[in-house]
Amino acid sequence: MLARVANNLFWMGRYIERSEHLARYLNVNYFSSLDAPNDKSQSRKHVLHSLLFMANGPVDKDYELTEENVFYDIGLNPETPYSIINAVKYARENANGARDLISTELYESLNKFYHFVLRYDSDFFVKKGLYDFTTQVTEATAVLRGKIRGTLLHDEVYAIIMLGVNIERATQVVRIIQAKYYDALNAQGGYEDKFSKSYEWTTLLKCIESYDMMRRHYRKTPTSITTLEFLILNDDCPRSVMNSLVQVKKHIEQLNLDKNPQKDSAAFLIGKTHAEYCYKTVDTIEGNIESFIEDIQNTLFEIAKKIEKEYFQIR
Amino acid sequence: MSETNSIFSSYEKDSKFYDEIFDEDGNVKKVYQTLFDLYSGHSSQDYARLNDKAKASFFNQGITFQVYNDNEAKEKIFPFDLFPRIIDPKEWEHIERGVLQRSKALNHFIWDIYHDKKIIKQGIVPLDLITSSANYLHQMIGVDPPGGIYNHISGTDLIKHSDGKYYVLEDNIRCPSGVSYVICNRTALKRALFGVFNHYNAHTVTDYAQNLLEMMETVKPRGVDEPNCVVITPGVYNSAYYEHSYLAKAMGVELVEGRDLFVENDFVYMQTIKGPERVDVIYRRIDDAFLDPLEFRPDSALGVPGLFSAYKKGNVCLVNAPGTGFADDKAVYTYMPEIIKYYLNEEPILNNVHTYHCSRPDELKYVLENVDKLVIKPVDEAGGYGISIGNKLTKEEIEKVKKTIQASPRKYIAQPIMSLSVHATYIEESESFESRHVDLRTFCLLGANKEFVLKGGLTRVALRKGNLIVNSSQGGGSKDTWVLKSKS
Repeated sequence: MLARVANNLFWMGRYIERSEHLARYLNVNYFSSLDAPNDKSQSRKHVLHSLLFMANGPVDKDYELTEENVFYDIGLNPETPYSIINAVKYARENANGARDLISTELYESLNKFYHFVLRYDSDFFVKKGLYDFTTQVTEATAVLRGKIRGTLLHDEVYAIIMLGVNIERATQVVRIIQAKYYDALNAQGGYEDKFSKSYEWTTLLKCIESYDMMRRHYRKTPTSITTLEFLILNDDCPRSVMNSLVQVKKHIEQLNLDKNPQKDSAAFLIGKTHAEYCYKTVDTIEGNIESFIEDIQNTLFEIAKKIEKEYFQIR
Repeated sequence: MSETNSIFSSYEKDSKFYDEIFDEDGNVKKVYQTLFDLYSGHSSQDYARLNDKAKASFFNQGITFQVYNDNEAKEKIFPFDLFPRIIDPKEWEHIERGVLQRSKALNHFIWDIYHDKKIIKQGIVPLDLITSSANYLHQMIGVDPPGGIYNHISGTDLIKHSDGKYYVLEDNIRCPSGVSYVICNRTALKRALFGVFNHYNAHTVTDYAQNLLEMMETVKPRGVDEPNCVVITPGVYNSAYYEHSYLAKAMGVELVEGRDLFVENDFVYMQTIKGPERVDVIYRRIDDAFLDPLEFRPDSALGVPGLFSAYKKGNVCLVNAPGTGFADDKAVYTYMPEIIKYYLNEEPILNNVHTYHCSRPDELKYVLENVDKLVIKPVDEAGGYGISIGNKLTKEEIEKVKKTIQASPRKYIAQPIMSLSVHATYIEESESFESRHVDLRTFCLLGANKEFVLKGGLTRVALRKGNLIVNSSQGGGSKDTWVLKSKS
């Protein structure tokens, strides 16, 4: 496979995954805040700030936090690089560059998705269409995941796409954990243990589509400990950081048949990170969430950089 | 019955043009009768819906081209017509032989021009015709392409004149495009009106890619067993990118851009995720001028530095060869009958549009007496400049044209005004089938001991009423084209 095209496939995977997390976070976080149990969680400013933080990091002081501004900028604003419309656009552009390698079915679904987002009325979206738009985006990404898995050869092409998907998934899940961690810190009150039993943990789980399964696993109301354990370390949870690392490891091994990868290689760093997570416990994370987040973000960034250097370079 | 059917009620019959569907008495031709009956069985609402569905299908599959308007790129589909064109086996056999004959003659001609120039030395084709062409590449003199093939892929444009005969309008032997639409049109028609295929036995068109790959493998460089073939594209923003990606996908080969390739010691490599991999045969969809910045246009970012040198050494094959363009221009076209006779010792199978050379006194006399029936073209202008169409001129203008020709007869040629045949075409505005002008582009492959003409072709249709220009940039669409199997 061409190095340039591999790069296209990797980023196609990342952008598809990114659009889904953005849409789901907008949807779940906004709607669960409407009847949140404490004033802070219910406050518009609090939730809008959280949305923007998740999409684009620290929020500019001068930013006017209104529903219309925030929805538009995250959803359909072609000028904001972090918007869903741009993620979908980039996903399709990257698919165009690899069009001869992916299935007609996958391309057609992605193309339809692109035209759906492009044609969505932004005025309707910011006033009435939040639920409709974000739900349709998450549905479309589920279809795309199905087409990736079900219509492509599970060869190098698939491995590259899955590397992109899973690195992006881990990155977005960590970003969502980070955003909700700050929300939990800011919106204490209501219950006896203000931080660890914050309502925000439930929202966090829902934002990652893992609430029902978490209840099934623990049979208890989510707390900071159980939520973090489930979302970071539980390798059965398909969205956990651990699960993403397992996938990344599996697919880099598919590309790199060398059982003993070189010390500086992507495969080595991925294996090493995976091994560390196999022996991590939640108590080492829960007390140091901020440093955990910083560490894993740096590691994911480093992995992506190494993959790029090793596989995507053209002269 | 045609008079009573609403779908065809606004179909105008004009005896000035050859009608593909109706004979001179206004009756449906035998080969179209079943199709006509089947189509008459649907209502205009059915066609409106099928037409919408077909359009959506092209759009969703991303079979589109970009149109730039007010700095905004818009995606457009190439309009597809629901009524297929049928070519019967006998007629096709004639076309196929004729197209192949022209392709072979052109290949001999190009070889000769870049080697011995015998045809010029013997005074059959004038030298300045060749050397004045911007597409003649002195770099190609003496180069021997693998397999001795230059025009591996030829797209020949044919029309049917009012006399019911096919004429060649031009031979495209640089980078002829459109073949992906032949295949898309078949798919689209199958999806929309699958029932009609039960009544006709049409040849498949999906075997093109397989034959293209086989042809490419016959022109592999010396010493290569299993050649690594690729398609090179200018990139995703090129208007024919869909076709490039389709052909690569259908052949199962890589679609590369210039930046994926590099040349080392006169061998060409592509950069893969596992390092460099040698490339042997390149189907290039990049114009000559952009192939190699070291040899041609130095500002080309699409090409590969050193590619031409690797080609000259015989280490890589380019399909089509560089420098074929001089042989498919207007001036050379007028010599095609002579070129065919000279190299193949055969009579031309397909008609050339007759050309009067004003440099020859008796022909000049005819031209001056019949300006109103002719198209007058300067021999050295490209892009339609300086053309006068006789029947569109006023008396004063005709006199003016005559004077211009008399002043420098060598500069002008004249051809009869050709009329394209008409065919039933679905028109959205009237929700019915009307008559529109069509042409036919055929696709011919030439390899080392390999010949193939795609049984089918691109029937292009001018959607605007009365318009004779079928190009997609001028609002043209296309039809599925059935070549019927012979009954024996």
